[in-house]
Amino acid sequence: MNLKDPEAMTAVVGNVLRYGVLISAIIIVFGTIELIAASGNSDVLGNIVYNPDKIPHGNFDVSLSGLVIGLVGLQPYALIELGAIVLIATPVSRVLISVFLFAAEGDKLYVVVTAVVLFLLLFSILVTPFVPGFQA
Amino acid sequence: MVIIEFLLILFISSIFAGILGSIVGVGGGVVIIPVLTLFLGVDIHFAIGASIVAIIGTSSGAATTYVKDKLTNLRVGMFLELATAAGAICGAAIAAYINSVALELIFGSILLVMLVPTVMKIGEDIPKSPELKGLSKRLGLSGSYTETDGTVVNYNATRPEVGLAGMAVAGVLSGLLGIGGGAFKVLSMDLAMKLPMKVSTTTSNFMIGVTAAASAGIYFARGDVNPVIIAPVALGILIGATIGARLLIRSRNPTIRKAFALVLAVTALQMILSSAGIKL
Repeated sequence: MNLKDPEAMTAVVGNVLRYGVLISAIIIVFGTIELIAASGNSDVLGNIVYNPDKIPHGNFDVSLSGLVIGLVGLQPYALIELGAIVLIATPVSRVLISVFLFAAEGDKLYVVVTAVVLFLLLFSILVTPFVPGFQA
Repeated sequence: MVIIEFLLILFISSIFAGILGSIVGVGGGVVIIPVLTLFLGVDIHFAIGASIVAIIGTSSGAATTYVKDKLTNLRVGMFLELATAAGAICGAAIAAYINSVALELIFGSILLVMLVPTVMKIGEDIPKSPELKGLSKRLGLSGSYTETDGTVVNYNATRPEVGLAGMAVAGVLSGLLGIGGGAFKVLSMDLAMKLPMKVSTTTSNFMIGVTAAASAGIYFARGDVNPVIIAPVALGILIGATIGARLLIRSRNPTIRKAFALVLAVTALQMILSSAGIKL
């Protein structure tokens, strides 16, 4: 792969999106099949109870440790959450690759613009969830 | 309702939402939120969490096609995303202290008013391109794409500062309410910057994914991204967006504008009704 060729970089962007979406979809399909096999005929109400007074609001674990344990056990919820995380990562990786895309075109202004967008994005995803004021 | 029924209803509505969203440059929340809250009795917070996933799915699912056909203007998108991302973080920061009822009424009304210039341009196929000058020229905000009949459309953006202001509003709105961002993005590019409709909706399509990803961390940590709800939504949306993107490539700008005007009207009404306590 030639990082100096804009056409090649555009192809890379296209592939990252295609595979990101595909991998996410496959993981979610597996999780959904498991979910249906395990409890497809039970009432959905227990799964959509919203608890306004506690975090997380739903009856599912969103902690990293909970996710890892769930994935080791191939539990449907953990698989679906992993699929969602892969999906959320696709636009982020697109911005990341765009930094290189503009660098390949020799466009310094947009390397800076895109890098700032990437910084704001990562700050928002990784930092703000742990700032108390943001936890509405 | 049993789980399998619930999944099936959401899956099918999400395919429809993905088709519509990918064509008009919004996230599909306009379809998914009412299906969840009205029809399936899901809490609005879970509905907004599902909408965030739907937005990212619509954006990434359709982008595969839009990148290849060079419809999305990456420079316009990145430049405007500066304002949107910053706006989204500000919106999320003040969300706990703001009366969202008043906001929904204000922004719903603004969207409703914007329907007038949108409808007035309804016959416009390719806008008369303004001369590339000033800030637009320095930022390289121009581009070209090819219609399916082989016509090459060259365009230049104008008034990027107005577009940037509109995008900051779109960002704050996404961060605060989790909805309505896409409509503001398309309006900023269409009405202020005078880009061709296809470029406006596909560039908005790129941007909404980035903006939604920015707030996804917070919704995830709060536990608003419910696996049972987002699984059928993500799968349906991805299928719908793939179909929608192919339809957009073959459609002319006036058709896309008509679809957008419809979505704009419904989004505005939803926001106004929601401020009146009717959560659609």
